[in-house]
Amino acid sequence: MSPRPQPPGSQPARRILGRVKRAEFVGRSAELDRLIAHAGSARDAGGLLILLAPLAGVSELMRQAYDQLFNAQGDAVPIYFSLPASDTTAVSAAIEFLNAFLAQYIAFRRNEASLAQASLTMNDLVQLAPAADLHWIEELVSAYNKQRFSSDERELVRFCFNAPRRVPSGNPKPYILFDAVKLANYDNEQVPVAGEIIKALAGSRPFVLAGLRREIIREVERAGVDYGALEKVRLEPLAEADACKLVASIARREGVSLSDECRDLLAQQFEGSPFLINAMLLSAREKHLALNSYFDCERLYVDELLGGRLNHYFTSVLEKVAPDPIDRSALIRLLSESLGAGQRTASFAAWAGRLNLEAADVENILRSLHVQEIINWDGETVDTQRGSRAWRDFVRSRFRLDALREPRALVVADLMSAALQRAPQTVARHYRRLASLPLRDVLQAFNYQRVPKVLFDYAAFAADYKGAPAEEIAARLEIDPQVMKLPQVFHTAHGVAFSGELKEFDEESCVVAHAFAGPGYTTENEIVWLAAKIDSKLEADADAVEEWCNRLDKLAQRSGFAHVQLWLIANEGFSVEASEKLRQRGAYASSRTQFELLSAQLSEGLNKSPAAANNEYVFILPMGADNELLAAATAEQIARRLNFRPEAINQIKTAIVEACINASEHSLSPEQKIYQRFQVEDDKLVITISSRGVLPAKVVAKDSAANDTAGVLEQRRGWGLKLIETLMDEVEFERVDEGTSLRMVKYLRS
Amino acid sequence: MSLKEPQTKLYATAAQTKVYATKEEPLADLKSNVRSHTVGTTAVVYASDYLNKLTGERIERECKKQLDSGARALVIDFSDTELVNSIGISILLGIIDIAEKNGALVVFSDVNNETVQLFEMLGLTRHVVLAKDEEEALTNLSTSSKAMGH
Repeated sequence: MSPRPQPPGSQPARRILGRVKRAEFVGRSAELDRLIAHAGSARDAGGLLILLAPLAGVSELMRQAYDQLFNAQGDAVPIYFSLPASDTTAVSAAIEFLNAFLAQYIAFRRNEASLAQASLTMNDLVQLAPAADLHWIEELVSAYNKQRFSSDERELVRFCFNAPRRVPSGNPKPYILFDAVKLANYDNEQVPVAGEIIKALAGSRPFVLAGLRREIIREVERAGVDYGALEKVRLEPLAEADACKLVASIARREGVSLSDECRDLLAQQFEGSPFLINAMLLSAREKHLALNSYFDCERLYVDELLGGRLNHYFTSVLEKVAPDPIDRSALIRLLSESLGAGQRTASFAAWAGRLNLEAADVENILRSLHVQEIINWDGETVDTQRGSRAWRDFVRSRFRLDALREPRALVVADLMSAALQRAPQTVARHYRRLASLPLRDVLQAFNYQRVPKVLFDYAAFAADYKGAPAEEIAARLEIDPQVMKLPQVFHTAHGVAFSGELKEFDEESCVVAHAFAGPGYTTENEIVWLAAKIDSKLEADADAVEEWCNRLDKLAQRSGFAHVQLWLIANEGFSVEASEKLRQRGAYASSRTQFELLSAQLSEGLNKSPAAANNEYVFILPMGADNELLAAATAEQIARRLNFRPEAINQIKTAIVEACINASEHSLSPEQKIYQRFQVEDDKLVITISSRGVLPAKVVAKDSAANDTAGVLEQRRGWGLKLIETLMDEVEFERVDEGTSLRMVKYLRS
Repeated sequence: MSLKEPQTKLYATAAQTKVYATKEEPLADLKSNVRSHTVGTTAVVYASDYLNKLTGERIERECKKQLDSGARALVIDFSDTELVNSIGISILLGIIDIAEKNGALVVFSDVNNETVQLFEMLGLTRHVVLAKDEEEALTNLSTSSKAMGH
């Protein structure tokens, strides 16, 4: 079931609920496609949750989806509803939903777009209902008329939100697009609105429910709906390029003159938030302002923050969080002071003491701030270094105006001065980011991949590769036998998150990556990579290297990192003295060229081509009954094709037999199967023998040293791995969640 | 068939190996599936095509039996053996151990090159004499027996 395509020459796509034309809708194409596709899979589809970061904007996405589905006139009838922002009770919101549902259903069935937003009474709607729907709509309205005079508000709310279930099964199914971003406004209602909405939607699938991510997850779970069974779309602020496009697009639409510099500034300053960007440009239009300089932008920004749309929005957030003016004032003081002091965290008790409120009230405030992502609160510790830059400016200015009673003119002047000083830095940071190496991305892509060792050794790279044409470097790296296996990085953060001393450097210049280097997730295998980019136009010198090594060592020491690997990157590499220093300290070193080659290799590894799979053979054998011989015979066939020497073939066979025995003997495999993968590459055969079950302790501990010291005659068993290591060129246990996976490589040259 | 050249065949499992009898001595124990015979006080035991845990233990049992019956030397013949695994090797070490305790010599005969390499890697060759074939093994043993005054 999918939307019917419009025949050629049919009416153009109408804008019904969308506030912008489809062509002007920027940056959410993939998400829009998901919403449309979800309607198409109506028969089996369940719910789709849109988990929204605050200010990331979702209403236009849902409106665009509505318009597209309406114009397609397919089998799913789109119904868009946004919970009203304020001054509405649960009952009013529910009745509004019922009205919108009927109006939009009838509009779709009559293919009359204007009805979708028309202000119509229930009687009007019955009059407009097409013949095929008249019966059930009449019944619904009649039931509603009885229900609305009941004294049970909860019953009425439930009735209204469940109205879509009354569509007879033979009629087109409604597809509810429910925008619940304002759900928090209904927190103090007697009727549990969130629960009623979610339960009603769950009974009227398919549906889309959008809300603030921290709130909606909690409410879905509280409503008893299976969160895991729902599809999810995560909406973050727009990426930098899309944010720039959005600024330009709105400015064009609203007729606001905008320079390229200001476009980039607004995109950066508002951190890709469609809501804030839109608010600024609408104000510019209303005030007939051109935004052609940083000065124009920041003057408007300060006006907005102290009295315009931004002020209105942030004030409403504060009022929702702390409805009592005295509590609100205390909250502003607390937030402002914690921002100023740069003190990240405080305890719940400290907050309760400062706000002078009962624990339950403090809890409500913290929960609301947490949902809005103004703070992070884990139940005990409160981290205040959150929220957008605009929010932080708003809080500080409110504090100065309301609590400190400073003259408004002074606050305006200071705010303007700070914003103007910050603007060039904001944009410069953006440009630097565009030009910089994506250090975090590269570290995250490590994932146990194998790469040429020389990419981490600038001195070796300079000696062997520097000056060679790019194609030659790539070709030689491909066959470079010296490879290293990277760890699996499971967490990365900017260095400044660990050490305030790194504040003086660009955020991107230092990254701390926690990883596992061995086959098992054990403390011994845990390692922390400390990577830093040295800003140098020439080869970095020994002093710079020394300084960075000391800085990173200190960070490691303070953070209590037991196993550390330093990695320095400098655009033009390192001087001879610097390289020697790096060698002494066991640090890795790469130039920008090496880094880019590494980055390319890692991306390739993550997106393995199907061609690679064509050279891969996979066999599954039951354990026991000498089946390792079948594996050996298979390996022999494959190795012959590669023209391995007879001696090497026998070595491969023996290694496979040993690997199979190991897998059978130690894994306690529940399914008693051995998985074999043979990858044929130009110059080598890669064999992986794996099994499910437990990871043998000796693999985890790599306890081969004990074996080495024992006398030959005392060693009765446990030689398999030693044999394999002797017979093959590369042997290692790959990390698997359970059981073992032994990877063995035999090179043709060997 | 030896493994001088790798062969494309699936190896017969121990359970499938043929039961042999020799001219000199009838097969002593059909259950063990191990071919053996004695020449004087030397027992010659034949390893099967795949020396693993099962076949290794059978050889071990046969060797123990021969030693208990008064054998003063053991020749283990590998002329049929194409593949040996590490468990099989550990069992061979056990046999060497037992033989040493009984004051008996051990000779491995007709071992293919790849298996010799494995034995060397794991240090077996420090404890046994290797002979080209059974005949050479018996000759060597006869010489050393005379030298020792047996």
